[in-house]
Amino acid sequence: MRPRSSRRARAATLLALGAVVATGLHPSRAEERPDPAADLRAFQAHFRDRFPQLPIAEFANGPYAMDAGMRQQWEEIMQFPPYDFAVEEGKQAFETPFANGKRYADCFPEGGTGIRQTFPYFDTAAGEVVTLDLAINRCRERNGEKPLPYQTGLMASITAYMAETSRGKPFDIRIPDDKRALAAYEDGKRFFYSRRGQLNFSCASCHVQAAGQRLRGDVLAPALGILASFPIYRSEWGSMGTVDRRFTSCSAQTRSEPFAPQDPGYRNLEYFLSYMSNGVPIAGPGTRP
Amino acid sequence: MRRTWRRCALACAGMLLLAAGARAATEAEAGAALRAAEQQQAEAARLRNRWIPAEAALKAAREALRTRDYDRATELAGRAEALARRSVEQAREQETAWRDAVIR
Ligand code: HEC
Repeated sequence: MRPRSSRRARAATLLALGAVVATGLHPSRAEERPDPAADLRAFQAHFRDRFPQLPIAEFANGPYAMDAGMRQQWEEIMQFPPYDFAVEEGKQAFETPFANGKRYADCFPEGGTGIRQTFPYFDTAAGEVVTLDLAINRCRERNGEKPLPYQTGLMASITAYMAETSRGKPFDIRIPDDKRALAAYEDGKRFFYSRRGQLNFSCASCHVQAAGQRLRGDVLAPALGILASFPIYRSEWGSMGTVDRRFTSCSAQTRSEPFAPQDPGYRNLEYFLSYMSNGVPIAGPGTRP
Repeated sequence: MRRTWRRCALACAGMLLLAAGARAATEAEAGAALRAAEQQQAEAARLRNRWIPAEAALKAAREALRTRDYDRATELAGRAEALARRSVEQAREQETAWRDAVIR
């Protein structure tokens, strides 16, 4: 149980954030044709103007890019990165053949090395967004293995290893000229900007309007580059967490029932956020307070 | 004497009113309240916007009904219904309002 004073302080912060958000409203807009390229330019320009001294690559570092004090602690932690064990475990799993003799490498282009920045992608044959985590489980199932749980554990380890082989490669997300791909993108964008839950917050309330501000002990990561360090080792969790884990816990923070991991809604959200981050280099796996 | 009588009448009327208000809920009433809440929550689910406290109140209401605490079941179902109704309103409002928040 949290002490009452801290709960009250938290409620006050949230209310203050709500007020900040409420003042930023425009008059209502009618429906528009999706234009991802124009969205991307405006999105990145917003963050460049907000944090003019920050090179785009720095956005991959989330809260550590925002706060000098935290950054110093981080540099100390990074002498013995707490995700090292996960990268090791992931590498071993990645290289171990399945019971049928096939490997993960057989399921991916480039043998699965250095490709993290191209996920998620829109699969035009299936008509859906495919994340790296989903592709890993489909690879397993195609080869007669059970799918892994999505939020932590071996899934986080395998994606940690695959991210590590892709470090420094800028996000390179494509939106094909396909009605269904545009609809998936638009759905993710709608989710990101929609107020949800009892607290009436959108993802943007915290990660756009309040980016860089403190919420309780946390510094809010800016939405630009927000997935570039995944998966992460988070001290608060005491373990690794995937994008699904983070989406689930951010949904719950607003008192909104989270979707199931890899729900199409979350996949579309990841598609939108990753596309907005095109040009930000992969820095995963990451560590967070 | 007359004043005492009047005071007594007032007190009696008050007690009757209180008693009526505090009358225990019946199983039928609790069941109806729960169905109303479930209906709202189903609509919230259809709009993919269930709220955690609405779901929690609904679960607790079902449990109270199961243990035949009809007062508590009715109260919790009422709370769940109110929360679910607000979540439905939020989803309907956000169908267009989200566009106002987009970075341009
Ligand atoms: C009430 C504020 C709040 C809302 C609303 C919110 N988040 Fe968060 N989010 C946080 C906090 C606090 C953290 C942890 C500190 C940090 O890294 O920003 C976080 C972290 C994250 C991270 C990890 C960032 C990193 O660098 O490790 C991602 C990704 C994320 N949120 C996505 C989302 C998405 C998507 C939504 C909408 C479904 C959302 N958040 C809504 C508060 C919020």
